[in-house]
Amino acid sequence: MTPKRSTEDLIRALAGQPVPAPWSPVATLGATLGAGALPLALFLALTGVRADLAGAMTQLAVQAKTVLPLGLGGLAGALAFASARPGQRFALWPLALPLALGMALVLLRLGIGPEATVLAEWVGSTALVCLLSITALSALPLATGLVFLRRAAPTRPALTGALLGLAVGGGVTAGYALHCTEDSPLFFMTWYSLAICLVTAMGAMWGGRFLRW
Amino acid sequence: MTGVLAISPGCDYAGAVVSARLMPARQEAALHRDDSWESLLARANDGDGAAFARFLMVVSPTMRAVIRRRGCDLPADQQEDILQEVLLAIHLKRQTWRRGEPVRPWLYAIARYKVVDAFRRRGAVVNLPIEDFADLLPEEQAASPLALRDTDVMLAQIDSRSAGLVRAVALEGKTAEEAGAALGLTAGAARVALHRAMKRLSEAAGRMMK
Repeated sequence: MTPKRSTEDLIRALAGQPVPAPWSPVATLGATLGAGALPLALFLALTGVRADLAGAMTQLAVQAKTVLPLGLGGLAGALAFASARPGQRFALWPLALPLALGMALVLLRLGIGPEATVLAEWVGSTALVCLLSITALSALPLATGLVFLRRAAPTRPALTGALLGLAVGGGVTAGYALHCTEDSPLFFMTWYSLAICLVTAMGAMWGGRFLRW
Repeated sequence: MTGVLAISPGCDYAGAVVSARLMPARQEAALHRDDSWESLLARANDGDGAAFARFLMVVSPTMRAVIRRRGCDLPADQQEDILQEVLLAIHLKRQTWRRGEPVRPWLYAIARYKVVDAFRRRGAVVNLPIEDFADLLPEEQAASPLALRDTDVMLAQIDSRSAGLVRAVALEGKTAEEAGAALGLTAGAARVALHRAMKRLSEAAGRMMK
């Protein structure tokens, strides 16, 4: 049998197959949000939302430490979904916007805040808890999202995984920020960012392995 | 329609066209409607297997060209293997194309991904030159009797002058020019004659396979 004839046989066989189930972005989003919200709600229920939440939310820095990761997560999620379809064009630069806004807050703090407490604010007292909580709370939604994305067709699996990790890390961080009482941009722009980077790296690693097709 | 038929010989659309004559005019119009890649894939994803077969048939030449451009040093059967991997991927992921969007960027992205993947997996193995194995391979015997008999059967399908030309070049290892000179042909004419003879032979082989 010549190769071309076997290709024609393959085409006939494929045409006889049922249409494969589609990848559903809505289901992926729903499952990932659910898998993220559950452990996060449990965490907040056990450790408690910060007592002064309503009052603190009037401060710009406190708003920023929830809003910025949430915005970053939303952007990254949209890009992760775009990157999961072959041939889609997307730009990564919007991801720099939340980072730029956060850096502006850092500069503002360094410009006008007291100099004596810079180091103490930067190191904080809950940095390790922050890193561990965010990465641990991100594991389940990240794995869930990856399972659903296997139906899609990312032509750059590691990038799609990284973007999903960024989205999940951002979302979880926004929730964790409701618990955390360290309100200096020096703290959260360092440790939240590092935690989100860890989740992103985890996503890139898992994506490169599990999203191949 | 004719364009499609020309691209996909061996596919049984000729039958489809014949039976279309027996169909009511409305259905015949449906068969001849917009055959863009987008329309074919949209119908395929609605469960129209014939449209999907046609889609794969019409994209195959383009996919072959993509594969050949990247892996011209691969033997033809391996290129065809890669094509089949690409076609399988198109089938499995066909629902990730969004209707209303052009098919080509989607298709090329899939092809690029699968082709790069295929070459990454086999590149290291297949690009070893055969000379490296020269002392491992048993020396080729002077063609088995059965193969010679097949060759004679095949060459009997074309006229004796072409057969002589093919025999001289393919079996005795002469160049087209040498073989042509023996038959009183110029170099260019010999190459053309050889090309035509090979084409007729492969057509004859195709007929005999059926």
